[in-house]
Amino acid sequence: MIEIERLTKRYGATTVVDDVSFRVEEGAIAVVVGTSGAGKSTLLRMINRLVAPSAGRVLVDGEDTMAIPEDALRHRIGYVIQGYGLFPHRTVAENIATVPRLLGWEKRRIAARVEELLDLFQLDPGEFAQKFPHQLSGGQQQRVGVARALAAKPALLLMDEPFGALDPVIRSRAQDDLLAIQRRLRTTVVLVTHDMNEAFHLGDRIAVMDRGRLLQYASPGELLLRPAEAFVEQLVGTAERPFRLLSLTKVGEALEPGHAEGEPILLSATLRDALSQLVWLGREALPVVDAAGAPAGRISIAQILRHGRALP
Amino acid sequence: MSRRAFVLRGLALLLFVAFVTAPQLFAFVFEPLAANRAPAIYNQGSLLALTLSHLRTVALATLASTVLAVALGILVTRPWGQEFLPLSRAIVNIGQTFPPVAVLAIAVPLVGFGEKPAFIALFLYGLLPIFENTLTGLTGVSPQTLEAAKGMGLNARQRLLQVELPLALPVILAGIRLSVIISLGTATIGSTVAAKGLGEVIIAGLQSNNLAFVLQGGLVVALMAVLIHDGLGLAERMAARKPGRHGGEAA
Repeated sequence: MIEIERLTKRYGATTVVDDVSFRVEEGAIAVVVGTSGAGKSTLLRMINRLVAPSAGRVLVDGEDTMAIPEDALRHRIGYVIQGYGLFPHRTVAENIATVPRLLGWEKRRIAARVEELLDLFQLDPGEFAQKFPHQLSGGQQQRVGVARALAAKPALLLMDEPFGALDPVIRSRAQDDLLAIQRRLRTTVVLVTHDMNEAFHLGDRIAVMDRGRLLQYASPGELLLRPAEAFVEQLVGTAERPFRLLSLTKVGEALEPGHAEGEPILLSATLRDALSQLVWLGREALPVVDAAGAPAGRISIAQILRHGRALP
Repeated sequence: MSRRAFVLRGLALLLFVAFVTAPQLFAFVFEPLAANRAPAIYNQGSLLALTLSHLRTVALATLASTVLAVALGILVTRPWGQEFLPLSRAIVNIGQTFPPVAVLAIAVPLVGFGEKPAFIALFLYGLLPIFENTLTGLTGVSPQTLEAAKGMGLNARQRLLQVELPLALPVILAGIRLSVIISLGTATIGSTVAAKGLGEVIIAGLQSNNLAFVLQGGLVVALMAVLIHDGLGLAERMAARKPGRHGGEAA
């Protein structure tokens, strides 16, 4: 768990981060969004003390970060930046082993950990361990960057625009992979982005920042239904609102009894996916099946529309 | 490395070793140049001994230049050392601007004749390329790489030794190579102040008007420079062999 308390950063007369407080529960993903210059990155960099706060404090698992030596603190917090900053003179395996080596892990333990992470990120150790970063594609570099940050099993992972350098197709896959890995490891994540879709896709909670101030910190649904300020509403995108809302609900939560003809939809799909499928196929309803393929009921356009409204 | 380049290197090295160890074998080449029955091959000392002491002076001077120039380069690229950049630049620039002959003239009254004044001249002359290349190499490391290193908890010393220096190494080596080559040639004037070296052969030739001597001295120095340049170039490529590093010269 991480608690940010009245965190402030001033450079001379300008306040870059202004009295920001929020807390991220154990195992949750908090996404910080805002326009560029909103102070998102500065906020993130104050958590691992790459930037010294002017006021306020950060608690990681109840412990004040100022009480932990700088380097020791950073060994405990994973950090991924846009462009990843992989060491060009070191192999993939050496890159991933960076923090364990600094911590003086035994060689065998490091090798095992590297292999485990490569497997986790679907990079065949035999093929990739000895490659150099420039021999990898953008998506592979990104995975190595995240694997390196997770190497010493940090309780907290900080990510600054980690998908910014990827093209849209690879980006959405990388986001799904991150979600899957995060759900498995239960690492607490604080992620900075300016991409609202990314925020809604990944965030358990979203912190909206503007000009150094935290405007709202809430779940994606609440952000849509009860935006705290006009700026939040604008940032969320008024035209996009119903679709974002639909993408937050799973088909399973809006299931109707009965059947329908046509290509079945999975229980775990979002209402947005279901709607798009219905519109595309020109049908009023489609059957719903569970992961094993057994029929579970049906979903209709009318039912979906009921879930895309601001007031139920 | 191509086979032909390898053979060529081997032959050049063989020629060099044969000439400095048994110069008499090559007397027939130089005889036409030696007028008035003067000796065709340098006979006032062992060519091998002169070559070795020439190399020794150059090696010691370059080593000293490297230590100081790399240390200065590291110092001025640290956040707390940045203000020393103008001063350091001024020092190494003076070293380069001041002609080695003038340094010899000033050094002799202070430290006497022999190897010492030659060492001082070469040391000062060799600073600039190494310093500038160290600077280029260290400032050329990507800010993202450094940010990531810092964010992962590498302290300043670990960042320098594990990230910055390894990445800058090929460029620093290029600077050292340049400095060695300049020094090999410049060291010949050390013989004017009685430093043992191949300059002796050239000066002896000039004094006795013996073109054969002049040519011998010049050729040995030139061949040595080519071989060392090539050898260090190989070492640089080895250092830059790991992909992703940027090699090449920047002086």
